[in-house]
Amino acid sequence: MSDLLQDLRDNLAEHDYFALEGTIDAHSEGFLMEIPGKVRTARVRFDFSRAGRINSMGIALLLRCFKEIRGKAEIRLEGLSQMHSMLFKMTGVFLLATPVEQRCDRREGAA
Amino acid sequence: MQNVAVLYLDEDDRKVWEGALAGVPDLVGMTAGDDPATPLQRLRKMRSTLRVVALSARLFPGRHPELVPMLREACPGAELLLISCDGSFPPLRPLFADQIRHLTITPAKEPPNREELSAVISMLVERRPWEIAPCLKVGTPVHSYRLNSSEDKELLIARLEGVLAGEGEEMELFRQKGALLADELLENAMYNAPRGSHGALLFIKGERRAMLPHEQIVFSFGFDGKTLALKLTDSWGSLEPDQVLGYLARNEEQSPMSDDAGGRGLFIIWRFLDRFHVHVEPGQRTTVGGQLQLSSQLEPGSPRGFHITKHREEQAA
Repeated sequence: MSDLLQDLRDNLAEHDYFALEGTIDAHSEGFLMEIPGKVRTARVRFDFSRAGRINSMGIALLLRCFKEIRGKAEIRLEGLSQMHSMLFKMTGVFLLATPVEQRCDRREGAA
Repeated sequence: MQNVAVLYLDEDDRKVWEGALAGVPDLVGMTAGDDPATPLQRLRKMRSTLRVVALSARLFPGRHPELVPMLREACPGAELLLISCDGSFPPLRPLFADQIRHLTITPAKEPPNREELSAVISMLVERRPWEIAPCLKVGTPVHSYRLNSSEDKELLIARLEGVLAGEGEEMELFRQKGALLADELLENAMYNAPRGSHGALLFIKGERRAMLPHEQIVFSFGFDGKTLALKLTDSWGSLEPDQVLGYLARNEEQSPMSDDAGGRGLFIIWRFLDRFHVHVEPGQRTTVGGQLQLSSQLEPGSPRGFHITKHREEQAA
């Protein structure tokens, strides 16, 4: 029960939401580097459910983006595939951002 | 005439490996135990014929961290191969410091594979670079494509995915691994390999580019239903074996990885393959590739075996 209440509180809490789509690579630089400047709340959710392949350049850009955000907000990752999780684990992305299962409504969207 | 020597920690260690090494011709095994002086003396006597010295990871680096320089002095013409069982992975930094360029890892709870180990030792004895075809069932087609421009990348990845056709979660994950490996191999060849006269990068990652007049980038792969083998050859030969080991060690130690860490692509290739191969002909050609099992028994994302060779050293050996 307490977990359910926590989930409800989490979903009601104000947060920023960013959805990532398609391949994340060198071409994602513009999009990803703009995100830290858009963060307004203490919690940021990144939705990877529509993201595809993430290559080493994509990992570098995500790390840079998350490092900029981390000082001012908590980062949560949702919609990760098994492949994303393996990649994030081996490159240390999970040390900057926490994977979560549940989805949430968006406050601010970007694709 | 012995051309392969294996150094075990003790008799128990020997028993772990003896089945897998039984078919290797001209092999001599010895235990180094607490005092490696006696086996080193024996190796010195065989130095003229020795091509490979395999070293159990139970012996090095943990038990005898000083062993490699002594081995190199005793048999300077031999290639050193570190063999590790139980899925355990020795720390990379000592391997890097001692320039160990060959490592095999046997998955946890599995005995060392006789066929695989024999193939590796035979490759090292003959000083042959790694090739795709021997990793696959006889008759498996090997697809090979020469790149014309960076625009070919997604097309080649789609072709690889087409070869990895099949239903189910396992196959879908395998396809995704194949696609990522192809992406990293192609990006590495298109943007990291091309260097100017002072080693500066010629192209920025992600920029559209055509191949230069004398530049050749060839992507090859084959899948026999169980094993995917793939390789990328570029005509630059700009990668140094020590540089590769340095990239693996540095990225292994950084957590989280620095966002501007060099060699991240090679690190990812290494971690996603079951075995990673790099062959460099300085100024001529670099080949990066390896093989991956559909049902790999290695822990996902864990460190993998590698073979990093340099053409001119082999010629001189």
